[in-house]
Amino acid sequence: MQAQILPGTLDLLILKAVSLGPLHGYGVLLRIEQISGGALLVEQGALYPALFRLVRQGLLEASWGTSDNNRRAKFYELTSAGRKRLRQEADGWNRLATAIASALNAQPEEV
Amino acid sequence: MRLLSSLRSGAAALFRRAQREGDLDEELRAHVQNRADDLERSGLTRAEAERQARIEFGGREKFKEECREERGGFWLETVWKDLRFGARMLLKSPGFATVAILTLALGIGANTAIFSVVNAVLIRPLPYPYANRLTIIWSQWGKETRGPASGPELMELRKRSRSFDDVGGIWATSGTITGTAEPQQVRLAFTTANFLPLLAEKPQLGRFFAPGEDRRGAVPLMILTDGVWRSQFGANPGITGQTVRLNGNEFTIVGVLPRDFKLLFPDGSGVAADVQVFIPFLDDLEKRERDTGFLRMIGRLRRGVTAARAQSEAEGIATQLRGEAKEYADQSLHLTVAPLQADDVRLVQPALLALFAAVGLVLLVTCANVANLLLARSAGRRHEAALRAAMGAERKRIIRQLLTENLLLGCLGGTVAMGIGWAALKWILSLQPEGISRLIEVKLDGWVLAFTLGVSILTGILFGLAPALSVARRDLVGVLKESGKAMATGKQWLRQLLIVSEVALGCILLVGTGLMIRTFASLLRVDPGFRPENVLTFQLSFPGTRYGTVESVTNFLKELRANLASMPGTQAVGGVSHLPLDEGKGNWYSYYWADGAPAEQQNTVMADHRSTLPGFFRAMGATMLAGREFEETDDAAHAHVTIVDDTVAEQLWPGQDALGRKISVEDSPRGPYQFTRESVVVVGVVRHLQSHTLTSKGRGQIYLPVPLAPRPVYSIVVRTTESVQTFSAYLQQAVKKLDKDMPVANLLPQTDYVEKARAQTRFVTVLAGALGTLALLLACIGIYGVTSYSVAERRREMAIRIAVGADSADVGKMVLRQSGMPVVVGVIAGLGLAAALTPLLSGLLFGVRPSDPLTYLAIAFVLGGVGLAACRIPARQATRVDPMIALRCE
Repeated sequence: MQAQILPGTLDLLILKAVSLGPLHGYGVLLRIEQISGGALLVEQGALYPALFRLVRQGLLEASWGTSDNNRRAKFYELTSAGRKRLRQEADGWNRLATAIASALNAQPEEV
Repeated sequence: MRLLSSLRSGAAALFRRAQREGDLDEELRAHVQNRADDLERSGLTRAEAERQARIEFGGREKFKEECREERGGFWLETVWKDLRFGARMLLKSPGFATVAILTLALGIGANTAIFSVVNAVLIRPLPYPYANRLTIIWSQWGKETRGPASGPELMELRKRSRSFDDVGGIWATSGTITGTAEPQQVRLAFTTANFLPLLAEKPQLGRFFAPGEDRRGAVPLMILTDGVWRSQFGANPGITGQTVRLNGNEFTIVGVLPRDFKLLFPDGSGVAADVQVFIPFLDDLEKRERDTGFLRMIGRLRRGVTAARAQSEAEGIATQLRGEAKEYADQSLHLTVAPLQADDVRLVQPALLALFAAVGLVLLVTCANVANLLLARSAGRRHEAALRAAMGAERKRIIRQLLTENLLLGCLGGTVAMGIGWAALKWILSLQPEGISRLIEVKLDGWVLAFTLGVSILTGILFGLAPALSVARRDLVGVLKESGKAMATGKQWLRQLLIVSEVALGCILLVGTGLMIRTFASLLRVDPGFRPENVLTFQLSFPGTRYGTVESVTNFLKELRANLASMPGTQAVGGVSHLPLDEGKGNWYSYYWADGAPAEQQNTVMADHRSTLPGFFRAMGATMLAGREFEETDDAAHAHVTIVDDTVAEQLWPGQDALGRKISVEDSPRGPYQFTRESVVVVGVVRHLQSHTLTSKGRGQIYLPVPLAPRPVYSIVVRTTESVQTFSAYLQQAVKKLDKDMPVANLLPQTDYVEKARAQTRFVTVLAGALGTLALLLACIGIYGVTSYSVAERRREMAIRIAVGADSADVGKMVLRQSGMPVVVGVIAGLGLAAALTPLLSGLLFGVRPSDPLTYLAIAFVLGGVGLAACRIPARQATRVDPMIALRCE
């Protein structure tokens, strides 16, 4: 089953995808599908405003290059600021996820 | 820093726009192509794969816009794009653009012109060093709160005060310069040595007076204004060190004041702006009489001291002085410290603010008008906006685009307005309003430009917001389904509301204008107590060196009178020390009481003092109420007579006959400034002459014959049928024969002084009239535009009505009724608002109440009539709709 991604998590997913190696926009899309096991659905057009935002915030760096299938493409790379942000956001997300999971798993006898 | 970097990225966005746009396009295209590659591999044909990829990608334009927004520097780029788009849209409808821009230019231009005046007179600091620290210090004498100070008052204030850097004093009078080609009467001012440095940085030639050079026994020195230096001394650069004979004494010129130097003293201070020559007092002011006030005092506050603090200190000093000397207690001395600029503009400020408010109303009418034009155009624009919204444009974005377009319109209007404002300003200055002396400095400077820009932008938002909101409403499908033409009733109510407010605003303005016109009419009718027609006046001055005795003055005047009386055309000749409505000379007033009045009644009645020649009242056309006027027989031996006006008579002897009563006066029959107390008999009662203004009654007047009250300057008054030119030639000869060194100054018809007294009201009335006319015109254009647009819109409906049998006259009446309603409502609302607002004008009005029913009625009639006439033309067109043609059009 596929899920719409939660608002605000697209940036985190992009950072994670790009941290595994420089990617162009379509590549980011494919990588997110791949690493989420196809469970997360990203609206294709919406990816680009997010990429532009991350570049402007200095978390990503863009440069033009050639893709596998010999098309000119813009590649995105993580900057050191981006790496730091990814770590923070991932930690924060994990803490939140753990907390929510444990809350949802609470049993009557534990209360 | 944020703003700076935002600007920088904005500028970068603007300049590398094409490249960045190309990059964005290419990036998104690559995405779609990559996706299509994948889809093709999964078995679709290329064409189908590409189509599928595009669908999956979603609203391409919308995402592009979002990308641009995220990229930074977006706003400037958007503004630029919107401006270009706006300009294209305006070019597409040149008719609309022309009317809108011209309307705006009129409204904004009027504002530019009036603001220039307000800026020059009320806002810009006086042209003096540390102008905001300059104050004028008034001395109170009895009930007169804006009186002059005596010498000792000035010196005591200077000695005791800690609030002022310096306090200077001035006394203005007239003098005669001889030894030049022609004897010349000049406006002369005596000053303390420190006075001029308070009002000017440095002289353009030479120096100021040095401390001590104003004391008794010092060498007589003189400083010239630029004007007299040029006219009398040929702008000689080596003038300093030369001597000039003034009133018979030698003065050494030490300096020439800067070219733009001007004395800007408040009205009624007796210090004229056109003083030409400055000399030091050459006297020990502290030794003068304590109760003879003649000085006007200017004080410069110490840095950081407020006028209020100086005021309370000065009041403390006045209290001390009252305790120390009987004279101060008797005159109940108080001192008032007022900022010089505020005091200068005290009288014109209400008028200028009223005009400023009026021109603001004109601007609102303009906005309503242009808003209406935009609304009329919005039917078509709505279709376009809906189309853009359907393609993914946000509502916010569309509104922003429309607002930018309106701002562009506003700024274009503002640009044309600068031209109109400049022309209007030329015209305003050509009205030469006396009494607004600073008007000469009016110019279009940076502040005015900034104001115009600000107003243009504000206007753009004001007139553009409602139409923009109405265009960008949400109901896309509804709009798109309509043909784009038949948007008949969409925002009828909004347009009608605009007409109502336009008419109401115009109505307020017109009522104000009407009241000003009524005021001016009353001023034209007001009886000043004399008949100024056919009266010529001129000034003679008698320097003490050559006219040391009272007889020499009276003899000269007697012979001159006889000579002028024998001139053909002369009906009467007289003269007086202070001509009615001539404010160029320091006034002279004092307390007078009935002979033998107890001490507590002595300082109660204050009157203007006039040294008077025989024949004055006949020549002026004044009305003798009882007794007689002065004759040549009231000579030195029989000088203890007086004439009072009805005001003084009523105050001293209420309800009784004044003739034969005795008054105690103080004067100087033995020569200037040698005052003695005398008892005089009332031989005549004359009707009050308006001496200072046409409108306020003011102090009463007491007239004394020349031998009892000799003065150094007289105004001669001649009632004659001759023209100024003929009279002038004769007069010059007559005076030359008596004294070749006696100049004749200010030869003017008395009507000039009356005109001058009306000048400010005339100025305000003419400007208000112009603004009122403008508002009326704009309102007419607005009403006409809206009505004819709605008629054009409803042609089809009219055609159907006529086709199914409606009388075409009925259709016309219907249109008139529907379009006329907002006019009627607007007039009623406007009259109500005017009734609420016009009491604010009461200070400017004379002879008419703010609620004057005649004015309201007339305005309702004019505005209603003109407004309905503006509806009527399109209504007539509606009756001529040919149903066949109209219906076929659709």
